[in-house]
Amino acid sequence: MSPSSASKAEKLGYKNVKVYLDGMPAWRKAGKLTIECVQCLIERVKLDIPTIIVDLRPVQEAKKGHIPGAVSIPLTEISTAYEKFPKDKKAPIVLYSYDTKSAVQAFEIISVWGGFTNITVLEGGFEEWKKINGKIATGDLPTKIVWEPKPRPGEVSVEEFKAIVEKRPADKFILDVRDTEEAENGMLIGAINIPTQDIPKKLTEIPKDKEIIVHCLTGVRAELAFHTLKNAGYKTRFLNAIIKIDPTGRYEITKE
Amino acid sequence: MKTSRNLLLYLLCLISLILASSSLVLAQTPKPKILKPCNQCHAPDEKILRGTLGGISQKAETFSVNAGIIWTVKFDDKTKLTGWPPPVGKIPKDKEIAVKFIERDGEVYAESISVKQPAKLPEDKVVSTEFVAEAVERGDALIIDSRPAVRYYEGAIPTAINIYDAEFDKHIDKLPKDKNKLIIFYCAGPT
Repeated sequence: MSPSSASKAEKLGYKNVKVYLDGMPAWRKAGKLTIECVQCLIERVKLDIPTIIVDLRPVQEAKKGHIPGAVSIPLTEISTAYEKFPKDKKAPIVLYSYDTKSAVQAFEIISVWGGFTNITVLEGGFEEWKKINGKIATGDLPTKIVWEPKPRPGEVSVEEFKAIVEKRPADKFILDVRDTEEAENGMLIGAINIPTQDIPKKLTEIPKDKEIIVHCLTGVRAELAFHTLKNAGYKTRFLNAIIKIDPTGRYEITKE
Repeated sequence: MKTSRNLLLYLLCLISLILASSSLVLAQTPKPKILKPCNQCHAPDEKILRGTLGGISQKAETFSVNAGIIWTVKFDDKTKLTGWPPPVGKIPKDKEIAVKFIERDGEVYAESISVKQPAKLPEDKVVSTEFVAEAVERGDALIIDSRPAVRYYEGAIPTAINIYDAEFDKHIDKLPKDKNKLIIFYCAGPT
């Protein structure tokens, strides 16, 4: 995606365009600071994306008002709190404090432990959260993170997806949201191709009386399309896995 | 006189025959020889099939290539191969290939197969984690996260703005006025 955007920028006349090809996975692996905006957290919760929220302020402060669902692990105790963190290093954790700076300290301590790949700092912290009128809860907070890796909302299991592709039940509609060029190299038999970005203007081509099963190449665009369709009132799920399809419609699914 | 008239008749027959046969050829819709994505860089060529490699059998000396439709192509040890070490049977499936072919005894035979080399960004365009970290520190670059918004919500490089690649054209107003400003794009890594 990034090389394609870069070349578009160059066509617009930008002369100093670079591509960080290794991207987000390399950034996280290097333990570099990852942040997210308060609005991003709101969207994330709204989309029901599993998220662990950690309040780093002193317990007394957190009790007076915190982000709903937050776990309390004060910054002063972070360095000895390893046991309180999930074993699953991919667990998505958002750290917040009063502001960005104090949460960055916690981020750095956790980075030193190594291995955690999905930790972010809430930009602007609780101050910013109040400013945009984010929901606030009061009272006691849990002090230990409870984490069960869950499928992302709307995920269809690989087994069920395969069964749908084989049997093509009348109440299911397989939607391929890859770009047309990709789909032309091979599509699932019975699937219809509408690229993710075209869905809003092509809703009339998607039946309302069927469940829409969405796939792309990696699951990223399919998830995006899933949300678009869900918001438009569709019953839908998506395949969160890598799927490769040959010109005859044969396919191979790899799940991370 | 009689012979010349016969000759004329003969010629007329011949001409109409040629015309008839050529219009027959024209009436046939030509089979596609180029897969759409290849069109971006290559002009269609009557003698070249461009597309993705399907199944391949070294034993049967046959492979299939999706060039808009699936073509079945014969090859042998005289088939020239560029861009991949021989034998032909070891070229991975789905590779983008160009096949220079001739038709022989009703079969399509590959004179040469050229395997597309991975698209390489010029090295001076690709930057490292440290380069990006320093740019974040200096604050002099516009960092653009090209992933879909859902992924951006889950954490991004500090100061990065989100412009999903597929919606780039709608957001060019977010780009700086200064065309010399450093812009760094990133996404979820090469896939």
